[in-house]
Amino acid sequence: MRPLLALIKREFTGYFLSPVGYVTLVFFLIVTGLLFAGVVDGLTRTGSQGVEYPFAALLGDNVFWFVFAFIPPMLTMRLLAEERGTGTLETLLTAPIRDWQVVAGKFIGAVLFYLVLWLPTLAYLPVLLNFNWADRTCGVDPAHAACSYLGVLLAGMMFLAIGLFVSSLVKNQLVAAMISLALCLKFVVAGYALGYLDANSWAAKAVQFLSVPEHFRRDFTRGVIDSRHVVLYLSVTTVCLYLTVRSLEARRLRA
Amino acid sequence: MIRVENLVKYYGEYPAVRGVSFEVPKGRVVGFLGPNGAGKSTTMRILAGFLTASGGKASIAGHDVFRDPIAARRNIGYMPESCPLYPEMRVIEYLKFRAGLKGLGWGERRKRIDYVLKRCWLADVRTQLVGTLSKGYRQRVGLADALLADPPVLILDEPTAGLDPTQIRETRKLIRELGREHTMLLSTHILTEVEMTCDSAVIINQGRVEEDGTLDAIRKKHRTDNLEDVFVKLTGFDDRPAAARGIPVASQVEEGDRPR
Repeated sequence: MRPLLALIKREFTGYFLSPVGYVTLVFFLIVTGLLFAGVVDGLTRTGSQGVEYPFAALLGDNVFWFVFAFIPPMLTMRLLAEERGTGTLETLLTAPIRDWQVVAGKFIGAVLFYLVLWLPTLAYLPVLLNFNWADRTCGVDPAHAACSYLGVLLAGMMFLAIGLFVSSLVKNQLVAAMISLALCLKFVVAGYALGYLDANSWAAKAVQFLSVPEHFRRDFTRGVIDSRHVVLYLSVTTVCLYLTVRSLEARRLRA
Repeated sequence: MIRVENLVKYYGEYPAVRGVSFEVPKGRVVGFLGPNGAGKSTTMRILAGFLTASGGKASIAGHDVFRDPIAARRNIGYMPESCPLYPEMRVIEYLKFRAGLKGLGWGERRKRIDYVLKRCWLADVRTQLVGTLSKGYRQRVGLADALLADPPVLILDEPTAGLDPTQIRETRKLIRELGREHTMLLSTHILTEVEMTCDSAVIINQGRVEEDGTLDAIRKKHRTDNLEDVFVKLTGFDDRPAAARGIPVASQVEEGDRPR
């Protein structure tokens, strides 16, 4: 357990020692800030142009997810690719730590930093939930906010696991970032095809199954937890983490 | 303490290590010699658990490095060649991280870190970023890391490579001191280093063990006082002129021999 904790701590604090962490933080703050400004604008408008579901406007947006897809690759590109590139993987893998612990430590470290990214958005909650400070009640049912954050955590875990796996395969951080971005985008741009597909065709169903923005637009931001989405996120996460462990093992055999 | 039996490692089709066997008894400092590309680093990486062998057996303090890798690695302090470190961490942070990774408890962690900082003359750079350290200091950080968990076996891959003469002398002194407490396997291709620091030597060439024994025994067997002669003889470098070895040299090649 101790080796695992030490590794989680290093991976998490490592983000604060590199410019990449801060760049990601600022980038993410700007994007969510702009979206929040848009939502507030929509909420304060009168008439038919207003926002019905504030969280759907915030997280159900195709553009947001397209931009968001760049973030997990930036967080994961360094994790294993850098260690392979600089050779520090040798010192890490010769310590008395199991391969799955190495993968788990890096993954948990990345997920923790990912949560830190979302932390400032909690400041928007009082506005989005129409929180009444006097009697401490919410004007809007807070459950859909909780569902949205759960969705954000699970979807983020999926993207981070994909990135970690890609990072274990290459030596160059930039290559790792590009490939994991290409893979993550599959889950974002799939939904763009929906407008061109017959809603009852199997293709449309497949696209809906994969498209993360669709999941948020229809379900998470409206307080619905659809088990299909949860199963997709968790199974992709598990498979990618498993493949990462195997890829570390394979590296021992190869060279 | 270290036992290697018939170790084989293929990189694709290429056999880097072809049936290496040797043994390092407890308390012995053994020099692992060979020309570049002989398979020294590969053998050491297999012992440290970074690579898996294609065949053969290896064990550290009775723990098989393939079957029981964690127990075997607990008994090893390994310093890789060129000593890779995280440049963005401070020396003390790095050592704390490594101590945690090696499973040391909190109290022990502090004690051992103080000890290795003193032992490897790192106390004055403890808060410096690893990336700003000179090569000699980095090497010491690597050595300090290897010593952290107080392992019975030390495996050092070219600990003096790239150091200046003063640093080489200091490092050798440290190795000699450590040799009293630890079983040690250290690779190098500097022969005077072996003569100064080691009790015995294993010489490998092209992935095979050519010689294994105490320095005196090796010298006696080859009837020479100079380890360098033995090394050159075993690793097959012939410094006679090419013509004397029957290899055609440029001046002997006739105009008509030129390929058209």
